[in-house]
Amino acid sequence: MTRREALAWLAALGAVPLGCREFESSSVALRLANWGGAGDDSDYYRLVKQIYREFEAAHPGVILKVEGVPGSQEYVTKVLLDHVAGAMPDVMALDASSGAVFIDNGTLMDLAPFVEKDKAFSLGDYFPNVVDIARRDKAIYAIPTDFTPMVVYCNAAHFREAGVAVPTGRWSFDDFLSAAQRLTRQGRYGFEFANWMPGWVMFLWNNGSDVLSPDGSRATGILDGPRSVEAVQYLADLVLKHRVAPSLSQAAATGVDLFATGKASMKVVGHWYLASLAAFKDLDPHEIVVVELPTNLPQSVTVMYEAGQAISKNCRHPEVAWEFLKFWASQGVQSRYNQSGIAVCARKDVAEASLKGEPSKVAREEAFLRIVPSARSPWGASVEGYDRVEEFGQKAMDDILKNGVPVQAALSKAAAAIDKEFALR
Amino acid sequence: MKRSGTPYFFIAPALLHLVVFGFLPIMFALWVSFFDWKILKGTMPFVGLGKYQELMNDPGFGNALLNSAKYALVSVPTGMAVAVLVALLASDQIRAAGLFRTVYYIPAVCSTVAISMLWIYVYLPENGLINATTALFGLKSVDFLNEQGWAMPALAFMSVWVGLGPRMIIYVAGILGIPPSLYEAAELDGARGWRRFWSVTWPMLAPTNLFVLVTGTIAAFQLFTPVYMMTRGGPLDSTDVLGYHIYVESWKKFHVSNASAQSFLLLVVIGVLAAVQFKLAKRQLEGYSAG
Amino acid sequence: MLAILLMAPFVWMLLVSLHESRSSIPVLRDLWPKEAHWENYRFVLLHPDVPVFRFLLNSLVVAGAVVAGQLLVCSMAAYGFARLRFRGREFLFSLFLGSMMFAGTVTQIPTFLLVRQLHWLDTYWALIVPGIGSAFGVFLLRQFFLQIPLEIDEAARIDGAGEWKVYWKVILPMSRAALATLGAFAFIATWTDFFWPLIATSSQDMRTLEVGLSIFKNSYNGQNWPLQMTAAVVTLVPVLAVFLLLQRHFVKGVTIGSIK
Repeated sequence: MTRREALAWLAALGAVPLGCREFESSSVALRLANWGGAGDDSDYYRLVKQIYREFEAAHPGVILKVEGVPGSQEYVTKVLLDHVAGAMPDVMALDASSGAVFIDNGTLMDLAPFVEKDKAFSLGDYFPNVVDIARRDKAIYAIPTDFTPMVVYCNAAHFREAGVAVPTGRWSFDDFLSAAQRLTRQGRYGFEFANWMPGWVMFLWNNGSDVLSPDGSRATGILDGPRSVEAVQYLADLVLKHRVAPSLSQAAATGVDLFATGKASMKVVGHWYLASLAAFKDLDPHEIVVVELPTNLPQSVTVMYEAGQAISKNCRHPEVAWEFLKFWASQGVQSRYNQSGIAVCARKDVAEASLKGEPSKVAREEAFLRIVPSARSPWGASVEGYDRVEEFGQKAMDDILKNGVPVQAALSKAAAAIDKEFALR
Repeated sequence: MKRSGTPYFFIAPALLHLVVFGFLPIMFALWVSFFDWKILKGTMPFVGLGKYQELMNDPGFGNALLNSAKYALVSVPTGMAVAVLVALLASDQIRAAGLFRTVYYIPAVCSTVAISMLWIYVYLPENGLINATTALFGLKSVDFLNEQGWAMPALAFMSVWVGLGPRMIIYVAGILGIPPSLYEAAELDGARGWRRFWSVTWPMLAPTNLFVLVTGTIAAFQLFTPVYMMTRGGPLDSTDVLGYHIYVESWKKFHVSNASAQSFLLLVVIGVLAAVQFKLAKRQLEGYSAG
Repeated sequence: MLAILLMAPFVWMLLVSLHESRSSIPVLRDLWPKEAHWENYRFVLLHPDVPVFRFLLNSLVVAGAVVAGQLLVCSMAAYGFARLRFRGREFLFSLFLGSMMFAGTVTQIPTFLLVRQLHWLDTYWALIVPGIGSAFGVFLLRQFFLQIPLEIDEAARIDGAGEWKVYWKVILPMSRAALATLGAFAFIATWTDFFWPLIATSSQDMRTLEVGLSIFKNSYNGQNWPLQMTAAVVTLVPVLAVFLLLQRHFVKGVTIGSIK
């Protein structure tokens, strides 16, 4: 080795320690993690950024360091990995659908003591069953921001054309099928079905069944029980037998949103869909009517997908983090944040304030609010790893719809696989 | 300069890096595979060889191993043959052509994600590129990625095309690295066309071939992105290959111990295959190596 | 014909990126956009909250450093394995090979914990250092070095050149094409890597292009194909530019080799 080579080596080794970068300053840096929202909506970004700046202005010495992780699955993985490494962000946006894995592994701080102590904050301002999504007995792990029940969107013009009345209250599976049959015509489907389990699991519920046992511990006997088989057979028949919904490969082939382009008359989806429908010119917004899900029970039941803010257990500045949560969930901030129209505000005052303006819009918002009391929290809020259950469910549906596997066989296989995974937990 | 330490000086930086960023994590994984690490709960009971025993009786793992073997058996030789042919055609043009040379590197440059999206479109039922074309001849539409018999061949076909770019680059570099004097000598002997290929190009490509074969086999057994993007292991687990299986175990179920044990079995499988490949190539390589 | 086939993915990406934002995947007959929506590019490049040029700088710094590091580290090791005789050579080489055979998904967690211990998370170090050694690179260059006739370095040694000089002045210049190949692979792999930079960085200022631009993937209602393809083209163009600039090196090996 020549001297020059040796020097180069030393220089290389000496450079390494410079890589350490620790934050040491008098100001408080609060790390906020979220899933990045909708990247193609610049108004939303501008608003959120402005809200952050306002918080910093109101709390001198506090700097918000926002860590956006695009993609919901990537977001969960990334924050869990931060937890394993002992480097969770201070505040995280918590999606109800993946809430259990964070709450039940002790990654989050119980907010109940803050709620109790802080007279300026009242949980009574929020819809009670929305708050309960992140509750474990007396402990509360997230302050809800917004949520959406899943509903049926109807194209009222299509209904008029077919001479079918848009349902105003409870309607049964049979009513839904006959409406779909009468709505279906050349180039148009009565119902746009997608194999996305968060969008069809409610059909099991509305047939008096479920995916998991009430304690969330097993799927056999429930997911493959007779009433579940009946519900899934009903959905499969819509596609395969009655042909009122496109086959999955037909839907994939067109690659377009059928409802939004007037090629389907009904669709099961959440509040966020209203925000995206604005971009479609073929659809008259006045003709969009929101109704509850069809049911074979006395009262229709649906699911409520929700987002909130939580504080991590190893947060270095819990008091500041609580101030941020309070600020974020305040009426002033939420009434602006909610204008994006993605979801229903978790604050009752803000949600009710949205009931004004153009009549068809008010009717839709009212329909959502009417449904709130009958909405359940998603399984993912209480069962860790529920995303795997959904994967098995979707696979079963794929096998049924695309590869001709009988419903009972597909569901039994899925239920057994789910139980096997639960046993390993 | 002629000191016995010199060879070690040359390999020291790579070795140091290998130890820190290769072996340390692998040893960690080995250690973890003897425990039942609940990574999120932070508990870690010792289970000895329990995880390995579990795998022996796990039909899911067996299925994944079989799928990977099928995939490798089809895609590796086909991919190599196509790449050599294209590289032969391309190397003359790459030598000659100016600006358009870059074209040959485009498939290698596009990210796998973008390419997978393109292929989803190619395989779409009814309106996809293939189905729209076959429909002109009155053939029935096939949902390639969702029908049991089609999904695996579809992935293999795609991988031959997607892997063409990188493999071709390696072959082109290999072909360009053959000293022209050898061709001149062959020409004097009257060898042209295919004869020249078999007497000069192919034997001279032996080290390149070995490289493409070994890395291709490794990559085939670790196949992940296209499965993740396009089929998620379906339909009916027919494309659940080891790379994807281990990913699910590690990142979806957070069963890090199981994933580690699976990786070690995979290591053994690939290791045996690679050893065989090296042994077979040894004869061809004689006369090239310094030892 | 072949060129058209090879160009297809890029052309497809380009055409889809010119469709209206949030529109669906165009089928073949609608692939040519009725009007070109160049505003997608304005949207991505000039987005006030997405510092594209910062991402670009990060990608360039990281990919550049990884390429430089890999070329030096791997070529040195490859020279050792291909040209020198020493004890434990076969064994050490098999260690390199073996490390390639281990599934990367499993080593990501320990590597992440290691990088955290080094306090490198959210710094360039985390993005560069794990990438500068590559068993793949060592293997690739070793195979190319094996192709070079042994007489060439023996002639140099007889002329009194030391090992470093043989490596630096004889073998490397003859291996331009091979080095360019490895450089290209290292550049592409680093440039298009998604998962590692995603978990190893957290602040927006440390994001690479591939990760930073992935926020355009989602709209409220499923994927936004045109914007996603716009982002993909934006990510791709710098790479193509680098290739255009460096392409002559891919063929240089031959000419220099034949002069000798």
